[in-house]
Amino acid sequence: MSTTTGVAAPESTTFAADVDVPIPYMQRTRDYYAALGYAPYRWAHFADAPFASLRTPLAKARVGLVSTAAPFQPDAGDQGPGAAYNAAAKFYQVYSMPTDVVPDVRISHVGYDRVNTKAEDLNGYFPLLRLREAVASGRVGELASRFHGLPTNRSHRVTTQTDCPELLRRCQEDELDAVVLVPS
Amino acid sequence: MSLAARHLETHGIPTVIMGCAKDIVEHCGVPRFVFSDFPLGNSAGKPFDVESQRTTLGLVLSLLEHAFAPRTTVQSPLRWSDDAPWKGTYLTLRELSPGELARRKEEFAEHKATAKTKRDAS
Repeated sequence: MSTTTGVAAPESTTFAADVDVPIPYMQRTRDYYAALGYAPYRWAHFADAPFASLRTPLAKARVGLVSTAAPFQPDAGDQGPGAAYNAAAKFYQVYSMPTDVVPDVRISHVGYDRVNTKAEDLNGYFPLLRLREAVASGRVGELASRFHGLPTNRSHRVTTQTDCPELLRRCQEDELDAVVLVPS
Repeated sequence: MSLAARHLETHGIPTVIMGCAKDIVEHCGVPRFVFSDFPLGNSAGKPFDVESQRTTLGLVLSLLEHAFAPRTTVQSPLRWSDDAPWKGTYLTLRELSPGELARRKEEFAEHKATAKTKRDAS
């Protein structure tokens, strides 16, 4: 019996690189901000998770879209592709905009990976056109007439006590059968 | 966003998150999650790659239909690139001099002050 815990790969097997795993964002963030002198951020964490089954066939369902992207604000500085992190472009209240026009929403207000991507294509972080296609093909019944914007607030209290109830209110008003949420 | 998914789901609305930060979303615990192993900012697929975006949304829609329990994660088979060096650059401390760290600390404080001003005014 072998006493080793690892097994050498047969020469014919090509494993992926050991570093080729999902990025440990929480550890990176902890280490980074500790080096900057800040107390550790505590991410939301639960032992359980809720679950509601889809009750309407998707081909008949009304689907909603929720995004953390921010409406472009002309007076808030550079929000273009590759712009530096722009706290002035943040927003602090749930907003709603129609889905029959493609909105000008940006993500310069969040910490996306500016080394490897530039937020040049709206469709990479805001799947409105792809959802419209899914409706056109019959895969989805209909898209809600408006989408909702959710603030990227670092306060769990504000998110859970103010923003989440407001988002729920709007989703219920829209009579949604399912919601696609896209953090950016 | 994970908190919002949980809140909607608790009130009977099925949800699915599409995102790139696997550990953060799963740490919170959400009903359904389509994970793309892409740089943050590409939750809906690769930029200017309609097929990638269609594939990603396809996973989202299938997951809505077929998940039978919470905390179901589907990882997209799509790759950002053939190799993984890009994963080593986000918020890494390697090669940051004390001077650069001090500059970033100052910059972060400015960001927080800007955000607070805006938040207080909203």
